[in-house]
Amino acid sequence: MNLYEKIKKLKPELTDADFAPEGTIMLQNDSDGKGDYIREWNHPTVTQPTNAELNGVS
Amino acid sequence: MSTVKSKKLQVGTDASASNNFTIYQPATPDGTLRIGVGNADSPTEVGRFNSNGYVATNAPAFGAWHDTTQTLTTSSFTKLLFTTEEFDTNSNFASSRFTPTVEGYYQINAAMGIVPMNGTIFISIYKNGSEFKRGSFTSDAATAGSRHTQVSSIVYANGSTDYFEIYGYQGSGSNATTRNDQRWTYVNGVLAKAV
Repeated sequence: MNLYEKIKKLKPELTDADFAPEGTIMLQNDSDGKGDYIREWNHPTVTQPTNAELNGVS
Repeated sequence: MSTVKSKKLQVGTDASASNNFTIYQPATPDGTLRIGVGNADSPTEVGRFNSNGYVATNAPAFGAWHDTTQTLTTSSFTKLLFTTEEFDTNSNFASSRFTPTVEGYYQINAAMGIVPMNGTIFISIYKNGSEFKRGSFTSDAATAGSRHTQVSSIVYANGSTDYFEIYGYQGSGSNATTRNDQRWTYVNGVLAKAV
């Protein structure tokens, strides 16, 4: 499961618009082998999940 | 009227050689006139004239393309890898990153192809790790098809620490795969004006 899917599962109130180019959340992958990460989280009401929460999603 | 003939002419007599210039003919004449920084005994070439005009010999230009597909996760800006170089005149392109060593204004172009998918794609020029210039934006969720996007911009680089990379974005809702073809997915750039 990729980061986008994990976040959607943890925060079902988020919509695809939040992940759109002008959305409130920016995911990034620097192609350095470390995978996707949250570059920016600017959602006005939904809090950013912790790494522990993300790692717990299966 | 007299004629002066010489293979080298030093301009400037400063105690610091880097403040002087030398105009010279190369040891083996080849139809060029060289311009170097430094005294006449050991100038470092920075440019030359040939029959077509002035040529800046250290002006960076590079081109590379994407010879291996990448899987782009939906809704994530992903750095594109350009592992085959076409040219790199000043050795300023490495690890899919352009770090010019000459200060100035650079024209940078890039394009990305994606195998058939639905939804949004675009690419961006990143400067020093942050999105800087966004390219053409294609968004069509209803129709699946090949996608192609490109970006072109003139950017300033300080010639030491500034660097540029290309990131791709796709918003299909699932993974998408890039096209590993020099016609579809590439990056290139050139010094347009030195400072």
